[in-house]
Amino acid sequence: MKRFRADLHIHSLLSPCGSLEMSPREIISRARSKGLDMIAVSDHNSTWHCELMVALGLEAGITVLRAAEVTSAEDVHSLVILPDEASTRSFQQWIDSRCAYLPHNPVIFGDQVVIDRNEHIIREITYFLPAALKASIDEVESAAHRHGGLFIPAHIDRPAMGILGQLGFIPDDLYIDAVEVVGNPGDILYPVIRNSDAHIPEHIGRRFSEYLLENPSFTELAKALRSEGGRQIIHPER
Amino acid sequence: MKVTDIVEKLGLKVWSGHEGLGKEITGGYASDLLSDVMGHAGAGNAWITIQTHRNVMAIASLRDLSAVIISCGEKPGDDTMAQSNEEGIPVLGSDLSTFGLSGRLYTLIG
Repeated sequence: MKRFRADLHIHSLLSPCGSLEMSPREIISRARSKGLDMIAVSDHNSTWHCELMVALGLEAGITVLRAAEVTSAEDVHSLVILPDEASTRSFQQWIDSRCAYLPHNPVIFGDQVVIDRNEHIIREITYFLPAALKASIDEVESAAHRHGGLFIPAHIDRPAMGILGQLGFIPDDLYIDAVEVVGNPGDILYPVIRNSDAHIPEHIGRRFSEYLLENPSFTELAKALRSEGGRQIIHPER
Repeated sequence: MKVTDIVEKLGLKVWSGHEGLGKEITGGYASDLLSDVMGHAGAGNAWITIQTHRNVMAIASLRDLSAVIISCGEKPGDDTMAQSNEEGIPVLGSDLSTFGLSGRLYTLIG
């Protein structure tokens, strides 16, 4: 078993808040230069850069996991990390079925574009991606698990858009695989990870977690979050 | 003024917690960040919010609030209503916005 560094919360230029420099190619190259072994692309309520990033990651020798940062009805952000292409496509369909399709203004919020391998724009999203879905946090959690994914409330220690700020405390009947913190883990009862939440290339890897795994992959990550078979989160330390 | 009085004067729907309709209302609080309500709402307040998650009832109970008013026509979840019945804290509803409700409630009890 070896130590692997992972940053599992990175926005591409598809997110309105993601800088236009955050192309899949740039993200991969920055992640490599930062010494990361595994990353996840996690755009707001969208997964349309996942397959391109996975392909580029394979070529560059870095593991890319498919993910989305989902906004539930309470305005809570949660990372959902998905096991494969089919589950990601199906999870996206579920998101689309719960989307409010609020109008987007790129001048105020920034562009929302999908690009191809040659960095040509192939699609522009005309509704505001980060808006809350018409789905409660319970529904997001069960959809994540129905698709074989991991459910990780994001930046829970931020004053807003995290589960603690929006809901006051973590409801004890949610099945939570881990929580993401920005600051110190404290005495939280769940597995704790840290990620960059990068929106610009310079922020990739500014926060990361270190895991003891057989190899950097979704399956091994899932085991580490459950402390199964010797796999574990070794940084942040508890 | 009692919860039942504001139900009548503001034309509110009573979703649950009928047992608490006789509670006295001391004032109001409007916020959708539960962490904020947890720290700042006063005992006996009527709390206006569009949040419908069951944690709303835990916070209402913690702060000893008299009622929760869900704005914008949102419907509380079954678990929220069950908790409201258990706590005896009414969950009320209105199609008015939080602004509209706050204004009307303020003129009544502010």
